[in-house]
Amino acid sequence: MRLIAVLMLTIFVGCTKNSAHLEYGLDVKDTLRMNLLTEPPSIDWTKAEDTTSSNVLYQIQDTIIGYNLADPDLSMIPQLATEWKASDGAKTWTIALRKGVKWSDGVDFSPQQVIDGFERLLNPATAASYAYFLFPMKNAKAYNAGKIKDFKEVGAKINDKGQIVVQLEKPMSYFPLLLTHHSTAPVRKDIIEKFGDKWTYPENIQTIGAYRLKVWDHDKAVVLERNDGYYGEKAKIKNILGYMINEYSTAVNLFDAGKLDFQETIPLKELPLYKTKPGFHIAPGLSSYYYGFNMRKPPFNNLNVRKAFSQAIDRKQITDLLGAGQSPLTGWIPTGMFGYENDRGLKFNPEAARKALDDAGYKDRSKFPSITLGFNTNENHQRIAENFQAQIKKNLGVEIQLSNEEWKVYINRLKKDTPSIYRLGWIADYPDPDNFLALMTSYSENNHTGWVNKKYDDLVEAGASALDKEKRRAIYMDAQKLLTEVDVPVIPIYSDIRPLLLSERVQGFPINALNRWELKGVYFK
Amino acid sequence: MIARVWGTSVLVLTTVTILMSFFNYHIPTALWLLEAFMFFGGVIAFTMARGLSLFVVKRLFETVFVVWVIASMTFLLLRILPGGPFDTEKALPAEILANLETKYHLSDPLYKQYLNYMNDLAHGDLGQSYKYVGRDITSIIVETLPNSIQLGVYALLISYLLGIPTGVIAGWKQGSWLDFSAMFLAISGVSLPSFLMAPIFIMTFAFGLGWFEPALWEGPGYYVLPMVILGIRPAAVIARLTRASVLEVIHSDYIRTAKAKGLDSRTILFKHVLRNSLIPVLSLSGPLAAAILTGSFVIEQIFAIPGIAKHLVLSVSNRDYPLILGTTLLFSVMLVLANLATDLLMAVVDPRVKM
Repeated sequence: MRLIAVLMLTIFVGCTKNSAHLEYGLDVKDTLRMNLLTEPPSIDWTKAEDTTSSNVLYQIQDTIIGYNLADPDLSMIPQLATEWKASDGAKTWTIALRKGVKWSDGVDFSPQQVIDGFERLLNPATAASYAYFLFPMKNAKAYNAGKIKDFKEVGAKINDKGQIVVQLEKPMSYFPLLLTHHSTAPVRKDIIEKFGDKWTYPENIQTIGAYRLKVWDHDKAVVLERNDGYYGEKAKIKNILGYMINEYSTAVNLFDAGKLDFQETIPLKELPLYKTKPGFHIAPGLSSYYYGFNMRKPPFNNLNVRKAFSQAIDRKQITDLLGAGQSPLTGWIPTGMFGYENDRGLKFNPEAARKALDDAGYKDRSKFPSITLGFNTNENHQRIAENFQAQIKKNLGVEIQLSNEEWKVYINRLKKDTPSIYRLGWIADYPDPDNFLALMTSYSENNHTGWVNKKYDDLVEAGASALDKEKRRAIYMDAQKLLTEVDVPVIPIYSDIRPLLLSERVQGFPINALNRWELKGVYFK
Repeated sequence: MIARVWGTSVLVLTTVTILMSFFNYHIPTALWLLEAFMFFGGVIAFTMARGLSLFVVKRLFETVFVVWVIASMTFLLLRILPGGPFDTEKALPAEILANLETKYHLSDPLYKQYLNYMNDLAHGDLGQSYKYVGRDITSIIVETLPNSIQLGVYALLISYLLGIPTGVIAGWKQGSWLDFSAMFLAISGVSLPSFLMAPIFIMTFAFGLGWFEPALWEGPGYYVLPMVILGIRPAAVIARLTRASVLEVIHSDYIRTAKAKGLDSRTILFKHVLRNSLIPVLSLSGPLAAAILTGSFVIEQIFAIPGIAKHLVLSVSNRDYPLILGTTLLFSVMLVLANLATDLLMAVVDPRVKM
């Protein structure tokens, strides 16, 4: 009996310690181990809509246009396209494609595959969430709504030089940015037709990228392997092993145990612990956190009340509370983006705030109607809301009720019964201010305030089509002024950041504000 | 005699399989088949021999009814729940929302959606996930359930291996320091929630002593912490129940007779006390399996185990209707079957049990 016990213990200990070898026959020394956070919902790049999926996609599939991730301005660089030019006042775009590129199965890359990608994204049967990316294209919206059946009527053609010519509904200066997204990347119609929904399985999928998908062990891990047939500079690390660890604290534990090379997001409470560690980095984020007013009902149908609330909040208190290096925001365009202005928006001014509230007819604060601040259940949102509540109480003498709900219930409430003040945020899809300003147009599905200002809508449209950079900057200045100083339907609070952990052997990691992690240039010390 | 040989071989085979799975050996299909044959063959033979066929068939029909009721209720409750699968932070334009709803037939009238779902269900088709594009619910279950079962079986084993001896010792040595310390541990085990116990164990055994791995699911060193933490609470419940049951048996007439006969205490304990006091403990297996199933979510999250419990919970926040329905049905079927198995087991060990 004892002998068996000893024997078992020996086998047991023998089995537990073999850290040089990973599962799937990988070796630690040429494998970058990262946490994808969740199972990728889809690596069909036309349909994918979440960050986990795109973290896989940007390794295995190139987009038409890429980014220079080392450039803080995130300038565009050729990827599958070599050149792009506007004509007709940015209403027509001509895109020249790279020649001699091959898919992972050796098939040639062709212009038709780009058109197929556009068609698939817009086809109503695909039901892709990002279809609206191509809505600026002529007739694209009608095709997506099923009003036009023939894709030939949509503004995307191949000219006799094999270039893609895109006709837009209206001039649009930042159209090329839409081609940096995975949803607009070319597709292999033959593969998709052959395998149906299963085309993304490792044994079926074909891609053009620095890595290719080798293993997809659902709910557990993804293995990517260097694609030696890649047209560009080959990836430096042979394998990427992406785990699917939902719990941040678990992932951080694994990082501490030396089992992860890269982890994004750290639980807020553990942040102070990690801030001093060597692997800690902060990536800027093109994102904003804001509160919106429900302007359809009193008291926030009154401009002075909105101004009072916006001026009664010291944003710095909130960013200090979060303590990860978020920056206070009073304007609408987040820190680090073209058009950002430090001085824009209403600053913290409790005196002016109290006066504005008096002017609104609430000199007697007990007459102020009962108001609710709504947010989705989350520890951070709770802390921010409590701080906001306390600041309003202190600076204005007004009580706010807090109400939190489960995410989907909350989203549903925003649409049907918007709280007096609501929380939302936005993360850039591409580094252009239009991505943020368009949120608050009267026709935007993301504008829950009920604010309608024709002048603002016009400014946003003018900004989208302006080609001259300085003219654009001036337009966005006016738009932001209207939004955050004149009409004040929203209170911007802060621009977010993203804490990262990188193991010491990782070099050349492209920390960037878009949080787009292209790993082909990463190497080990 | 045949029954005994049969029972022993099922037990041996199961032990071998569990050990092989624990040490990450590939388990050949032949072994699975043999085991399935032995197990189900045994169950069928036994039910027929004891005249329980009617009872089992009745229970299985009940299961079908239960599944139908649960499926209908879940289906309805999901539609009452505010917020749909395509309500996202970045609100989608109306055209795109319409396309998505058409694709997943969510724009059909509710009764039609219900009939379609029931029809598919009757054909064994659980549908496709909304969240994990192109993945069948069936394949999600097939890929993740084995890991959960593996964890659950280990935890159940641990709970018996820890719980029964502790309970027996405590009962046998009633009033001694052994009894007190065992019961103190048991009470702590019941009252400490696993989300608290897990970090303590990870800090101690993974980071402090370096014996086991802090997370993931790749081999024996990874299995120990989750299975122990998941098994501790049921172990504590078993220990307390065993102790009570041992005490009851000790004070019964036949034990007094055995003592009067001059049997040594070892024989009395193993031959008479243990056997009879374990019957109530065995009857707890069904509810215990349920506790382990539902408790596994926290453990699967903390240790990043690719199991199904995660889907049961996360599918609700994603409003992934087919996945919610699929996992709910799966869990209910498993519970019903675990209870049925317990009832049959009771009939095996206790001839007094009448169905």
